[in-house]
Amino acid sequence: MMSTIRNVEPKAINLTIDGKACSAVFGQTILEIARENDIYIPTMCYLTKTLPIASCRMCVVDVEGVDGLILSCQEKATDGAVINTQNDELYKERQNIMKLYNVNHPLECGVCDKSGECDLQNKTMEFGVSGQNFTTKEPARPVQNWGVVSYDPALCIMCEKCVRVSTEITGDEALKVKFGGYSSTIINVKEDANYKTLGEAAAVCPVGALVDTSFKYTANAWELTQIPSSCPHCGAGHDVNYEVRHGKVYRVTNQAEFSTMCSASRYGFDFDNKNVKKDVSSFNSAIEAFENARTILFSNETSNEEALIFQKLKKERGYKLISSEARAYQKFMNAYGSVTGKLLANGTLDKLTKSRAVIVMGTRINDDAPIVKYHLNMASKWQRARVVYMHPIADDEISNIVTQFIKYEAGSEEGVAALLADTLLKDTDLPEAIRAVLNDLDIGNLSAESNVGEEELETLRKSLLKKVGYSLVVGSDLYAHPRAQNIAKLLALLEKYAGFNVICIPPAGNAMGISLICELDDEAEGSTVGYNVKGDFTLSALGDGDLDMPALNQQEGTLTALTKRVVPMNVVLEYGGYVLNDIANALGLSAEYTIEYTKELPSKKGFEAVEFDSLPDYFDAVGAEHRGYLLNEVEVAVDETLEEPVEMDGYDGTVVYNCNPQEHFSAFTAKSKNLEQNAYLRGSQQFATAAKLADGDKISYIIDGVKFERVFKIDTSLKGTIALNPTFDMGLSSALISSYRFNQVEIEKVGS
Amino acid sequence: MSLEQFKNRNVGTQNYKTLDLDHTPVTGMGQFKQVVSRTFKPELFVGLWVTFREMINALFRGKMHTTQYPFEKLPISPRYRAIHDMLRLLESGHYRCIGCGLCEKICISNCITMDTQYDENQRKEVSEYTINFGRCIFCGYCAEVCPELAIVHGPRYETASEQRASFSLFEDMLTPIDQLNLQQEYQGFGAISPNADENIKKTPLAY
Repeated sequence: MMSTIRNVEPKAINLTIDGKACSAVFGQTILEIARENDIYIPTMCYLTKTLPIASCRMCVVDVEGVDGLILSCQEKATDGAVINTQNDELYKERQNIMKLYNVNHPLECGVCDKSGECDLQNKTMEFGVSGQNFTTKEPARPVQNWGVVSYDPALCIMCEKCVRVSTEITGDEALKVKFGGYSSTIINVKEDANYKTLGEAAAVCPVGALVDTSFKYTANAWELTQIPSSCPHCGAGHDVNYEVRHGKVYRVTNQAEFSTMCSASRYGFDFDNKNVKKDVSSFNSAIEAFENARTILFSNETSNEEALIFQKLKKERGYKLISSEARAYQKFMNAYGSVTGKLLANGTLDKLTKSRAVIVMGTRINDDAPIVKYHLNMASKWQRARVVYMHPIADDEISNIVTQFIKYEAGSEEGVAALLADTLLKDTDLPEAIRAVLNDLDIGNLSAESNVGEEELETLRKSLLKKVGYSLVVGSDLYAHPRAQNIAKLLALLEKYAGFNVICIPPAGNAMGISLICELDDEAEGSTVGYNVKGDFTLSALGDGDLDMPALNQQEGTLTALTKRVVPMNVVLEYGGYVLNDIANALGLSAEYTIEYTKELPSKKGFEAVEFDSLPDYFDAVGAEHRGYLLNEVEVAVDETLEEPVEMDGYDGTVVYNCNPQEHFSAFTAKSKNLEQNAYLRGSQQFATAAKLADGDKISYIIDGVKFERVFKIDTSLKGTIALNPTFDMGLSSALISSYRFNQVEIEKVGS
Repeated sequence: MSLEQFKNRNVGTQNYKTLDLDHTPVTGMGQFKQVVSRTFKPELFVGLWVTFREMINALFRGKMHTTQYPFEKLPISPRYRAIHDMLRLLESGHYRCIGCGLCEKICISNCITMDTQYDENQRKEVSEYTINFGRCIFCGYCAEVCPELAIVHGPRYETASEQRASFSLFEDMLTPIDQLNLQQEYQGFGAISPNADENIKKTPLAY
């Protein structure tokens, strides 16, 4: 891991491990090379996805010609080294380490959640620890409840994996080591914040010390059936392993050694549409509704195959397809691609972690895309990357990684994009037409309008100068912006001419897949059928529509992730009702199962003609992802015509920003018991004063024709005059809220 | 008998004795004679005397051999595997089960279903425990694997019921709290039956 982060010249080396000749690249650690070559070195604290922790000393090896034992996890291999991983001395050493780990370890395997999948159990057996020659006095160690996880210090072996994940990966920085010799423990320094991302730290715990509170003591590991799938919520399509028993999901795990999950999928797993039976009369009226409808509305929680069904129905019957968020993203990406000549942005998360400088714009990234935020945090922690966060609202949660916060006015994104392009492309060779547009910019005016100071941009430019490897992360504030297309073109210049690694975070769910598969329309007409959206006839997986549909964890299919990967989802829970494919068949399409459409996904958009059942779904020994397939690169026509930025009307008065909390994405996460929370309109004291509201006021307002009735809460961590408006609790209406995320609203008090 | 003798299948040369049985009568008269002679033998009265003597013993001398089931029951051997009992700790009265799930795992007919949860005392609490007695084959593995001697086979061998569910809930199997003092400790699989002493008889030397 270490070696791949640093930019070292790849120099081939050869070495021998246990008599096996291995070739590697200089900079790789002995452990990495051993794992690549299927040589087993036991470890307790090593975690592939973080930097070596080196707290357990289990990975010691013997290097010929070197005195003493070498820690293979952090020692880089040298050319010609001869290494032994197994001998009597090493065995004794490892056995003693296991004995020390077992000092006073409570013998409660009978009830411990980790029993059966416990590293301590396994290694104790492996090294034949049949007696104990060490002892010490045990201090009192009470169990602690930290919200979604609980910590039992008596079981803790102080491997520090959780601390590393909390610091290097999720970036909540809540867990710390409290040093004190044998009394050392892990402490939660941000207990009040009640981070759901602590679940990621619990996932890597090798013993039963840090476990999910909701799962604690509910089932033994061996009783649970594991069903691999992909995250249906956050759009990153990371691996998800549902653990099921008695027709119920008990917990969600993942390949925590290599990958990390968003909190929504770790804790939001009970969103299935329960107890559904085939209701023939509803089904018939659904068919009738489809016969009469002119428009199909659907939300982002639609798999690739379902999207293809809609697209096929459009071809056959001329429906208008409306999926607003995906449509906005589609238009943005089309404009973006018209500059770069590629269908998709070039960015990958892997390159993001290797960036030395990252600009984030148009997304409240910690809440919008936790997985991207994790990678941003990795770049910050591993590369000491400069992170420039550009947004109208400051975010305290990422203040630990942001090195420069540039606040711009809501609505001025086009100006900001122009300023950014102008600043960063100053010394770059550009085609004349583009250079002319940039030269024509009225910097002073743009700067005044967007409230981004020229000196701020100068600081940004200077700080980037010394660095190599840039990334730009943009998000959904831009997609629904009235000038989204021009913004896209301006930002695409950075990819094309300045070598930026650009990630355009798709809206949550499967918006990216929908935008690639469907020819979406802008305006609805005639009567509508809604799929997880309120329509004249509503098909709903939330259980409140006219005909029930399966939720994403009750059906097979694929999703398109922001990593440009098409990932498979499997059936996790039983579903007894009709699925979209039944309706499609009744309307003239013909496929026995929905997944027959997997191989028909459009190859023109980069999809491959692969059967669903032959999609791979695993990580290999060194952590390379083999899940589904990566979209092929597709070339598109180039049209670099830029427009002058248009002057925008400022947003005055009470402005709210549609933004869900980090662990919520849709009505499906809202359904989940573990993630239950009240949706408040949260604003700063300043907002409260401006809007004449007091903490606890009951208010109502309308956005995109959807009426919100909320309680207003003052959040002291917020600053400025924009309040955060969550939309996850709006059920079938939440997909209708799809305009520009900043809205000027009229707040009406309905009580206090 | 030595092996050589055992292997010798040559019937003719071994020391078998042929019983000298009367010929079975074939004619009607012969059969009639046989019936009459057997009927009026004095052995009849020997038999009647035995019956009469036992009746006197049973009714007047208190030597009744019949068990008045179901009013009276013989103690059952601890080796017998009947409907399960869930035992309690004698000190605290709390049930012994720690919810480890080993019985559920080992059950070869998959009839044990349990759910556990985290209780307010930070212990693993059994929230649901059922045994489907329609499936249970009373193999005794669950009792054998139990690390806490919590689940044992009790003496309730009468398993006729209006519904199977009558036995199968945790509460039904658990020792009633007011009868905790009557809870029998499980003696183990090799244990002898409680009335073993009474059952000891001299092995008859001759028949």
